[in-house]
Amino acid sequence: MTNLNAIDPAAVAEEAKIENGGVVIAKSAIILRRFLRNRTAVAGLVIFLALTVLSFVGGFLSTWDKETIDPLNIAMPPSADHPLGTSQAGIDLYALMVEGMRVSILIGLVVGLVSVLIAAVYGCTMAYFGGKVDKVMLFVLEALIMMPALLVVAVATSGGGNGLRENLPSWLLLVIVLLVFSWMGTARLIRSLSMSLMQRDFVKAAQYMGIPARRIVWRHLVPNIGSLLVLDITRGVTGAILAEVAFSFIGIGIKVPDVSLGVLINQATSQVQTFPWMFWVPLVAMFLLTGSLAMMNDGLRDAFDPSSSSVGSAKGTNTNKTAKKNK
Amino acid sequence: MFRYLAKRAATYVLMIFLTTTAGYFLAVSTLQPALLEQERIPKPTPEQVANSFRLKGLDPTLNPWERYVDWLTAIVTRWDWGRSPNGALINAEFGDRVWISTRLFLASIILTLIIGVALGVYTAARQYKFQDRVITSYSYLVYIVPAPIAYFLVQLGAININETVGERILFVTGISTPGLEGDGWVQFVDMLAHYAVPTFAITIVGWGTYQIAQRQYLLDNVNADFVRTARAKGLTRNQAITRHALRVSFIPVAQSIAFTIPAIFAGGFFAEKIFAWHGVGSWSIDAIALQDVNAATATLAYGSVIFAIGAILADFATTLVDPRVRVQ
Repeated sequence: MTNLNAIDPAAVAEEAKIENGGVVIAKSAIILRRFLRNRTAVAGLVIFLALTVLSFVGGFLSTWDKETIDPLNIAMPPSADHPLGTSQAGIDLYALMVEGMRVSILIGLVVGLVSVLIAAVYGCTMAYFGGKVDKVMLFVLEALIMMPALLVVAVATSGGGNGLRENLPSWLLLVIVLLVFSWMGTARLIRSLSMSLMQRDFVKAAQYMGIPARRIVWRHLVPNIGSLLVLDITRGVTGAILAEVAFSFIGIGIKVPDVSLGVLINQATSQVQTFPWMFWVPLVAMFLLTGSLAMMNDGLRDAFDPSSSSVGSAKGTNTNKTAKKNK
Repeated sequence: MFRYLAKRAATYVLMIFLTTTAGYFLAVSTLQPALLEQERIPKPTPEQVANSFRLKGLDPTLNPWERYVDWLTAIVTRWDWGRSPNGALINAEFGDRVWISTRLFLASIILTLIIGVALGVYTAARQYKFQDRVITSYSYLVYIVPAPIAYFLVQLGAININETVGERILFVTGISTPGLEGDGWVQFVDMLAHYAVPTFAITIVGWGTYQIAQRQYLLDNVNADFVRTARAKGLTRNQAITRHALRVSFIPVAQSIAFTIPAIFAGGFFAEKIFAWHGVGSWSIDAIALQDVNAATATLAYGSVIFAIGAILADFATTLVDPRVRVQ
């Protein structure tokens, strides 16, 4: 995994100095440069941002909305009137796609970001206190991993007459359930990485110097597991989008009348031979979303890794070969 | 070693108990079979509904705690997991379906593991060569496809093959041909034809995770000090890798197997739904749609047991291969 050779901040500063001929560059600038150097990652970011922007403003670019039925064009393939065709109910597929993508992206971003946050706090707490606290928290964590998330999602989203289900829109309910079941793997990883960091000399030195726990976590633990955290955000976003599509695909998760990519794909499966565009258009959108995130993943990891050997080829001493060093 | 494993097993039993209890309370407080009864024609009176549920041990007027105590007592004293709202016994239903699920997954889980780990080793030995790039890209591609959609696409592919051949050689749904007459050989061929598509689908979707993990961990170890020492002592590169690096790199993979088994089980819901194998997975989804508290809890408990078995196997594998784990 990452960070078996974690470095302390002093060495990073030293390395930065050597890299840039004595000039110290701000850490954020280094991260940005490293990221921009990776073409695949930048392409992924551009695609993802484009899709996100489209999902928010795309509704204004079309005269159709997701409720209007066009009785003259029911289940029609793409045409001049309807650039992506219409659904079996005669609703413009482009309008549905914009709406569905927004719901999917929203679920992905919220679940991805918040679950990593929960995992980081939980994992660091376990590692920092150790002992009894660690044992109890690990027990809770493993018990949660044991629960088949899918069944709990199904129960939570299909219970009848329950207050929770009636008062919340189905996407929010799905977000909550996905959050409960998505942070455990990351928390376990963070725990084990932080535990090995706690044994390192620079953390011990800081402890003996009487530096408060919160600052040790912030200055020493977080930067060293930062690459993992960032990596897990993009992975978490991908995972949440995939989970939404998968759950909605078999009919649990997002429920009609709410729209998401999974719902659109699900509705189109029964007649994929007759109305192929209804199936392939949302599927391609989903591939673009998850694919662009996967493309960003590696570039981000490298950019945030404090022990990254990706120092660039500006001076000709380090070629791309070392940048590709496998982690 | 057996004491260590026994201790782990005891912890998992406690966990299964807790997750099942939590699941029961969640199910009993959200699922309301009585509401579905009211859609019947003629519409039964609330008294009739309550009465019929009371006879099945699903009394809606009791509070969750009382129902939990009754339910737990029945399991502990008689191993009776209760009844569905339609009166079916959970034990009997479960027995049939567990066998179908096991038949569907055992072959694919073993194939997935073997192919994944083997390809991981193969690609790590050829880092950045053509084969490595192709196989690893494939694994990343699988990672961005949701399992049910991949299964569905395989199903579409199988239908296309059938249409091209002009004969139904691959069965995309069901577990066997109903009412098929014939001797053992005919039955066997029929079974294979039904197995082929789901097993193929689950395997090609599943192996990517193991391939990436095994490749990564092996590469981390290939240049480690102990491998270099082994080479300095006169072993060839391949010998050093197979004797030293491979063993160590399999440890984290063995651990991850435990945590992917629930994922395979979750993938099972999708596979069973899409290929119409009426195993535990599709049963649980249907049961929840019918607001069936006892069936939902039973499948949840089954999921936890599957996980515990995977975790104990992983612990066992770790104690076997890891020289650093010393257990009394």
